[in-house]
Amino acid sequence: MATKQEISVTVNGVSYQREVEVRMTLADFLRHELGLGGTHVGCEHGICGACNILIDGKAMRSCLQLAVQVDGAQITTVEGLRNLETGELHPVQQAFIEEHGLQCGFCTPGFMMSTLELLGENPNPSDEEIKHAIGGNLCRCTGYENILRSIRLAATRV
Amino acid sequence: MKPAPFEYYAPESVEEVVSLLEKLEDDDVEAKVLAGGQSFMPMLSMRVARPEALVDLSKLSELDYIREEGDVIAIGAMASKSDAEDSALIQAKQPLLHAATKYIGHRQVRNRGTVGGSFAHADPAAEYGAVATTLDIQMKIVGPDGERVVSADDFYVTFLTTDIDSTEILTEVRVPVLPAGTGWAFQEMSRRNGDLAMAGVAVTLRLDAGKCSDVRISVFGVNATPVRCTDAEQLVNGQAPGDDVFSKAGESAAQFIDEPIADVHGSADYRRQLVNVLVARCLAEAVTRV
Amino acid sequence: MAIEIPKSPEELPTTSPRFVGKNVNRIEDPGLVAGTTEFIDNFSLPGMLHCAILRSPHAHARVVKVNADAAAQLPGVEAVLTGEDIKRWCNPATTSPEGWGTYPMAVDKVLFVGEPVAAVAASSRYVAEDALELIEVEYETLPVVKDAREGLKPDSPVLFEQHESNVIHDRTHIWGDVDKVFAEADHVIQEKFRWNRCGANPMETFGCVCQWDVIQDNLTCHGSYQTPGFIGLGRSASLNLPSNKIKVVSHPHGGSFGGKGGPRGTDIASLLSRKANGKPVKYIEDRMEYLTAGGGQSWDRYYDASIAVKADGTVTGFKVDLLDDQGAGAEGYGTISVAKPLAAFTGCYRIEAAKYSLKLVATNRAPTYPYRGYGPPPHNFVLESLMDKAARSLQIDVAEIRRLNYIRPDQFPYTIPSGNEYDSGNYEAVLDKVLDMADYKKMREEQAKAQAEGRLVGIGVASTVEPGVFDWNAYATVGVPGVGVPEGVKVSIDILGNITVTVGFSLEGQGQYTLAVQIVADYFGVEMDAVRVAYAATDVAPPHFGPGGSRLGVALSGAILGACKKIEEKFRIVAAGLMQCEPEHMELMDGLMRIKGVPGAEMPIAAVAGAMLARSDLLPPGMEPCPEATYVWTAPGRNEPDDQGRCKSYLTAANATHVVLVEVDRDTGFTDILQYFIVDDCGTRLNPSTVEGQLQGGVAQGVGAALYEEYVYSDDAQPLASTFMDYLLPTVSEVPITEKGEVVTPSPFTPLGAKGCGEGAIHTTPAVIVCAINDALSPLGVQVRETPASPNRVWNLIQQAQQ
Repeated sequence: MATKQEISVTVNGVSYQREVEVRMTLADFLRHELGLGGTHVGCEHGICGACNILIDGKAMRSCLQLAVQVDGAQITTVEGLRNLETGELHPVQQAFIEEHGLQCGFCTPGFMMSTLELLGENPNPSDEEIKHAIGGNLCRCTGYENILRSIRLAATRV
Repeated sequence: MKPAPFEYYAPESVEEVVSLLEKLEDDDVEAKVLAGGQSFMPMLSMRVARPEALVDLSKLSELDYIREEGDVIAIGAMASKSDAEDSALIQAKQPLLHAATKYIGHRQVRNRGTVGGSFAHADPAAEYGAVATTLDIQMKIVGPDGERVVSADDFYVTFLTTDIDSTEILTEVRVPVLPAGTGWAFQEMSRRNGDLAMAGVAVTLRLDAGKCSDVRISVFGVNATPVRCTDAEQLVNGQAPGDDVFSKAGESAAQFIDEPIADVHGSADYRRQLVNVLVARCLAEAVTRV
Repeated sequence: MAIEIPKSPEELPTTSPRFVGKNVNRIEDPGLVAGTTEFIDNFSLPGMLHCAILRSPHAHARVVKVNADAAAQLPGVEAVLTGEDIKRWCNPATTSPEGWGTYPMAVDKVLFVGEPVAAVAASSRYVAEDALELIEVEYETLPVVKDAREGLKPDSPVLFEQHESNVIHDRTHIWGDVDKVFAEADHVIQEKFRWNRCGANPMETFGCVCQWDVIQDNLTCHGSYQTPGFIGLGRSASLNLPSNKIKVVSHPHGGSFGGKGGPRGTDIASLLSRKANGKPVKYIEDRMEYLTAGGGQSWDRYYDASIAVKADGTVTGFKVDLLDDQGAGAEGYGTISVAKPLAAFTGCYRIEAAKYSLKLVATNRAPTYPYRGYGPPPHNFVLESLMDKAARSLQIDVAEIRRLNYIRPDQFPYTIPSGNEYDSGNYEAVLDKVLDMADYKKMREEQAKAQAEGRLVGIGVASTVEPGVFDWNAYATVGVPGVGVPEGVKVSIDILGNITVTVGFSLEGQGQYTLAVQIVADYFGVEMDAVRVAYAATDVAPPHFGPGGSRLGVALSGAILGACKKIEEKFRIVAAGLMQCEPEHMELMDGLMRIKGVPGAEMPIAAVAGAMLARSDLLPPGMEPCPEATYVWTAPGRNEPDDQGRCKSYLTAANATHVVLVEVDRDTGFTDILQYFIVDDCGTRLNPSTVEGQLQGGVAQGVGAALYEEYVYSDDAQPLASTFMDYLLPTVSEVPITEKGEVVTPSPFTPLGAKGCGEGAIHTTPAVIVCAINDALSPLGVQVRETPASPNRVWNLIQQAQQ
């Protein structure tokens, strides 16, 4: 078996065909092969959640899988949230701005991905449910209070 | 923190997996089977694990199911943990497994991590270990000689090691539905929400004319494998539920643990204490659910 | 010409500020939520190589031989760096005190686990890590100094062989007649404390892309630099380049908190670029590198401290004996964090005399770096714990003993024994407000009920001062020279009236670009959209330092207001010429240059700027056609320290009191934070949402330090917390949502009356949580004296009590 393999993925609605090294993580593939740098890498061992993306609608760590494993998948990254036609930010993005749900913003894309899955399945989550959904996302700046507010606000708009 | 090179295979059927594993073994290639990879990927990136070949099971959609088969819930090894978490069947008929599932990491990890992967990886802190020994879950394993079924007691060998041979894979876990009238409880203590447990306990019991019966107590996170605390079970069987007997059971379970794990989060003595407390608390909680 | 800086928002040239003091949305945020902000790992240059660093597995060893031949042969590898290159090209890190720094890579021996011993630049990080595995290093292990106590022993191995011992700094400061106040005290409350290592851990680790121009001998370093100018100076010293030949470009970074590190990584990547014939080299520190050997370890301390107390509870003296484990040298300026407490040594209290004995020791742990708060958080934990102990032995309520000792509002400006001057405050008002919010009396009643049921419920009350707007003079005791920390900006108005503010620091999370825009928009009466902030690299930026020591909000405000004022002065002359009146009759108000007292005689500032740039024929003779100004602000009134280190150092003294209710699980030692209240006073709040965000973020880090975070080392100085599974940052489930209130006592000394507030709650949170746990444990007669108060530690104490 070769150490490179060809894969096809759809990311934010765009299809890509690429030959990738089989050992390359999905996070590195998205960031450095496809140039989608909004997915951030904070720990590379699955704890911080900064690299969360949506695969087939489910939030997952892009550092904890290989690019070859997503052959055929539909992926959404933070770059795919904005409405490209109107230029408007996604309501979740807008809510994070309005409720000051970010400071340095490095962890924010990961939080928004967890939020998107949550609100997709549960449009009216309780605080406990929100905490459960973002329990696997670390933020070192905000102390989480404004993130909770942001998600509550987003829930009223999504 | 990037994986060392390896060869990658993604076979599409169990049959293919087994013949591939056999071939790799014959060729003296050190192979590792990858399910969801949520525990294994960090080891790969840290180069703590460095297999020559990775055999990825993610294309085995035939193993992605959760279904009821009489008194058993059959869970395909590649069903994700979040499917188990969201399964109405599991929630209704095997609430202990359901409760334990919610403690495993975080949602984003459960979305990718598989039920079978957790059993096969056999981390001492894996919630499913104690659930397996408490419920006597049966593991279906397929290899060159066909299929065999191993009970939880025989499945766990030691730290990160199970009865699965290098040319076999786990294909299904068979979880008995919780019989009506059975109380259950699952609790664990970790430093933070979602962390690996310093200690955890799974309990089932029944009440027979006001006395506890069929008590099963398992502990995880303290030894290389999950531990069934049969002495503590004996102490409770036949007794009326009460704090006294439950705390005696806790003490017994704590003493039953041989040389608990010690790490930066908790000493061996402290883990023993957590077992003590959690066993008593779980027994009390289980009684309320009978 | 002296520039008058407005001392309050009301003095801005606007009828009523529309942005300053308001909860405006941050201009930083759209790019951050869209994922387009250029963090360093999103940046690349053509032909860029990737660096990986081989690190020592030993805490103390001689490097006998490094053989990198095989690595150099690996396809994709373009440069390999070893100690031989380093010795040829580099100098050891400069430190304060001098002489306690090492080379960026080991040249003869390694002093801590994770110290670089070789590095590779290759076509990808993957290949670079493959190459590291081919490097053979022969070590001869040496006896290990596992901690500061060992390091002090006469027979201890010595890390820095040019020195006779491991003691980096040994000094005692005496302020006032401390012996007398202790002799005359009715009670002396004494205790020992241990603060274990914790640290910054921003979500983004350090990263850089360095390119050595081998023809011109210039160096350009892009990176996640908190203080770009300072980093440039350091590289000049370590890499033997004139300071003006090093250009540092700071990229937006994913948090810093002082602990971003970077000097070693920058030096290594730069030299790899030099070796690779000038190709750019990217180095992205991974999290395990950060945790074992990055800039994230701070405050490893043993305290023996006491206070002198009168019978009525008046505290008259405070003595602190500090043994500080600096780790393997002083490269990270961890030394400064023992000096900073001088700026607020006696906290909120009228303590008349004090003594501070410092011993800083080198050990085979990783070198220590700054972390938010920069030293006072452990110091406050010590002082506040002693206040509680005194209250308990005198049977005074913990809130009341604090009130009794507070500096009173009419005593400001107030000079503390260690020399700093506090600008203003109203500590009692802060206390009253927070006690009221918490319904403290009822809380105590509930606690009594819970205790009667055998539950371990406790209340903590802690009051602290946050020194703001740091000055170098605060750190003179460890050998830091200099007075004043200039921060400059350039404000430019273009031909159409759009405004650009040029600054020398990048995004880091505190919303400083937004603050810049708020102030400029109000000053010139334009919308925030009309103002842009531009980052300038070190080669063209005005003098700057950047964020640090709770300074930038105040310093930036001063610099911007000064520049705006200079432009206003120019516009006054230009507009007077155009409108044919005397300049002294002109005023700026709401974006218009207008003639005082003549309604309708006015022109918009855009017209003035436009005239300057497009109609030189209309300008007064000699008028430079330049509608822009640079202003460099530095804190007024700072002075040289005396022989005991006393000086006016930090310009502002913010104040806060926290009240927290906790319950400790008797069986497991787990602490549950049930309620948390904060009232703080940081003067004028320029963007209240930002202030609250800083507070809550500081709470989270304080909770981490109090309960979760610890860099554990084994007896052979091996780091045991090298992943996020073992170094525990609090998640949303662990951080309490706090109820916040404020008191506003403007600073009389600062622009707009604001005080430094960026470090905030971390000053108070660890202290108040431990105080609350101790209140909960007090019926058992045991007390927590070591951080973090992990469940295991607390359970051990409960076990002791039961024996």
